[in-house]
Amino acid sequence: MANLNIKSKKENTFDAIVIGSGMSGGWAAKELCEKGLKTLVLERGREVKHVQDYPTTNMMPWEFEHRGNIPEAVKKENPVVSRCYAFREDAQHFFVKDTEHPYVQEKPFDWIRGYQTGGKSLLWARQVQRWSDFDFEGPARDGFAVDWPIRYKDIAPWYSHVEKFIGVSGNRDGKPNLPDGEFLPPFELTAGELYFKDFLRKNYPEREIIVARCAHITGNRKFYAKQGRALCQNRTLCQRGCPFGGYFSSNSSTLPWAANTGNLSMQHHAVVHSIIYDAEKGKATGVRVIDAQTKETTEYYANVIFVNASALNTNLILLNSTSNRFPNGLGNDSGVLGKYVAFHNYRAGISGEYDGLKEYTTEGRRPTSGYFPRFRNVYKQETDFLRGYAAGFSANRSMINDYSGIGDELEKAMSRETYGPWRVGSHMMGETIPKEESQVSLDPDQKDAWGIPQLKISMDYDANDEAMIKDYLEQMSEMFEAAGFTNIRTRDDKRAPGLDIHEMGGARMGKDPKTSVLNEWNQIHSCPNVYVTDGACMTSTSTQNPSLTYMAFAARAVDHAVKNLG
Amino acid sequence: MDRRSAMKQLAILTGGIITIPACDFSEEAILQAYQNLNITASQKALLTRITNTIFPGTTLKKAEDLQLQDFVLVMCNDCLQENQQQSFVNGLKQWDEFSQQNFGKAFSKMDQATAADAIRQTMAMEAEPGSKTTEMGRFLAITKQFALQGYLNSEYFMTEIKPYELVPARFFGSKKIENA
Repeated sequence: MANLNIKSKKENTFDAIVIGSGMSGGWAAKELCEKGLKTLVLERGREVKHVQDYPTTNMMPWEFEHRGNIPEAVKKENPVVSRCYAFREDAQHFFVKDTEHPYVQEKPFDWIRGYQTGGKSLLWARQVQRWSDFDFEGPARDGFAVDWPIRYKDIAPWYSHVEKFIGVSGNRDGKPNLPDGEFLPPFELTAGELYFKDFLRKNYPEREIIVARCAHITGNRKFYAKQGRALCQNRTLCQRGCPFGGYFSSNSSTLPWAANTGNLSMQHHAVVHSIIYDAEKGKATGVRVIDAQTKETTEYYANVIFVNASALNTNLILLNSTSNRFPNGLGNDSGVLGKYVAFHNYRAGISGEYDGLKEYTTEGRRPTSGYFPRFRNVYKQETDFLRGYAAGFSANRSMINDYSGIGDELEKAMSRETYGPWRVGSHMMGETIPKEESQVSLDPDQKDAWGIPQLKISMDYDANDEAMIKDYLEQMSEMFEAAGFTNIRTRDDKRAPGLDIHEMGGARMGKDPKTSVLNEWNQIHSCPNVYVTDGACMTSTSTQNPSLTYMAFAARAVDHAVKNLG
Repeated sequence: MDRRSAMKQLAILTGGIITIPACDFSEEAILQAYQNLNITASQKALLTRITNTIFPGTTLKKAEDLQLQDFVLVMCNDCLQENQQQSFVNGLKQWDEFSQQNFGKAFSKMDQATAADAIRQTMAMEAEPGSKTTEMGRFLAITKQFALQGYLNSEYFMTEIKPYELVPARFFGSKKIENA
C-alpha cells in the first residue's frame, strides 16, 4: 500500500498547478508551460474544445427554436443569469445556471459564471483598455483602499507582451489616461461617432471619443496563424465561440499554445476544495480537489500554485484553505481576505437621435464601439464624488419599418425600408470604491453539492456611486443636447451589482502585509509560493475593463515565479 | 386511465382507425406539443386562419408557407408568462364567438377582406381593462407579435427579402448612400 501511495503521489506531482482555465488561468498556464514547467490546470467545469464544442456557432437565426429567446421556465428557475445580456438561446450552454451552483446573497448580487474550459473568456465583451498611473495612483491620491504596490511602468511591458499575443485592435490615440498599446489596425468609428468626436474637440477639448480597443485580430495574420487563429470576420456572434478564433479566448489561444509545449495537463470536473499548507515547510504543497461527478477527493502537488478561479471563487478557495497556521483562510493574517471587494457601476445609460448625416450609413458589423475615456477627476479632484466613469458611445443609422398594419399593407411595408435618424447611445462604466464592509465570506451553514461552504456576498452601491450616476446623466445629457441630439432619454436600471461581470478584490495587493493579502508580485505575503492573478488581486477597480490587466499580472507573476524557483 | 387516454390507446391498437367524437364538451384531442396551452387541432386551424389573414401572401409568402402558426404556438407555450399565456389561450378559444357577436359572422367563415377588418377593428377598439374586447385585443397583439417575429426571422425572409450575412467580413463606418 505504501508503495502505491508513493506512486500516486508521484503521478499527482507537477511543477506548477493553475486553478482555473479562464482568462488569467489560461495565461498563467501558457507562460508556465513555455518556461518548461510541467503544469496542471484544474478546471471545475466540463471540457469545451475550440470550434468542435461550439454547437451554435454556425447556426442561422431561424435555426433557433425560440429565435434567440430564453424560455420562461428557464428564466423563472434562473433569474440571476437570465438578467445577463449575453444569456440568450445561442450561448446559454456556456453559463452557470442559478440552480446548479447556489450562493448566498446578503445583498442582491447577480453573480455571472462560466464553468467550462476557458471560463468566461468565451463570453467576454473583449474590451481591453490599459490602465494608467491615474488609476494605479488613485487610492493613494484620493485616500481610499490602500496604495497599489506597483505603478504603470511595472506592468506596461507585460501589457505589451499580452497584447501582442492575443491580438488587440486599436488606434494610437496618445491619451495619457488610456495609454496606447501594441495595436493591430483599428475598427472605424461611424460617421455619427466622428461627428460627435469633432463636436467634442470644438466644445469640450478635454473630452474625446475613441474607438474602443478590443481583443480581435485585424492584421498580422501570419503571426496569429501560428495559434490557428484567423482575422476577425465581423460576425459579432462571439458569445457562441468563434470558429475563426477571431477574438481571444483561452480555448482558441493560450490553452492550445500551452498544450503544444507538451508540458500541459488539463483536469476537468476538478472542483478545488482548498490549498494544502505545510507548516513545517512554510509553504503550500498542493491542492485538494473533489471530482465534480464522482465526488472523490484527490490531492495534487506542486512547488508553485496559481489561483485563477475567478475573483469571487478565488476568495472562496482561499477562505476555505484553513490550517493551524491559517485558521481564517490561507494568507489571511491581516483579516482583510474577502473584504474590500468592489465592482463596476453600469447602472446608467442614455440614448438619443441625430437627424444629420443623412447621406451616410454603416455597412457590415463591428465587434466593438466608441469609447469615452474617463474625463472626471483625472488630473485633480473637481466634483463632489471620488473618481469617475468611462462610457461606451455608439451612433448607428437606423432603419424605419412600419409594422403597424396587417394583410397586404403589412407585407408591402416589410418589403421596403427607409433610412431613419442616427441612433446614439451611451452606458456608464463607473469606478467604485472598495470598502471594508463590502465583502464575501463562507456561509456557516449552507454548503454546495460537494460539501464546500457556499459563498455569501455582500456589496452594494453607496452615496459616491449615486452621485456619479447623477453626474454621468447630467454631463451626457448636456453634451447630447449641445451636439444637437434629440429625443434624449436617460435611464438608471437599478441593476444589482454583478451584472457588470467585473467583480474584483478580496485578496488585494498592497505594500503592507497588515492591510493586504498579496505583494507587488501577486504572491500571498505569508505564503509566497501561491500567486493570485485574477480579479481577486485588485486593490481598486479603475473604470477600464479589467481582463487585460489580469492577463498582464498573470504573465508578470509567472516570470517572477520561475526566476525565483532557483 | 381517463377516457381520452383510453381512446388514444385504442386508436393506436386499432391502427388509428377510430374517430374520437368531438362535441361541445371538447372531447377533441389536445395537441401534445404545446403542453402549457391545452388547445385542439381545430383551435390551431383557427390560429392558422388568423396568421394567414395577417400575412395573406399577396406581396410576400403566406404565413402558412412559413409555418408561422407553429412558431406562434411554440413561443406562447415556452416564452410567455402565465398570465399572458392565459390571455392568448382564452382569446383563441373565444375568438370565433367574439367575431360572431361583434361582426355578425364567425371569423372562420369570413373572407380575407372581412377577416382582416375584424382583426384591425378589434385591435383598435378602446375598451375597459379586463373586458372581453381588451382580452381579444391582447390575444391578437400576441399572435401578431410572434407571427411577425417568426416572419422576420424566417429563412425565407432572411435569404430572399432581406438577406442576412453570417460572415460579413467587413465594417465601414461611413458608407455613402446612393440617391440619399
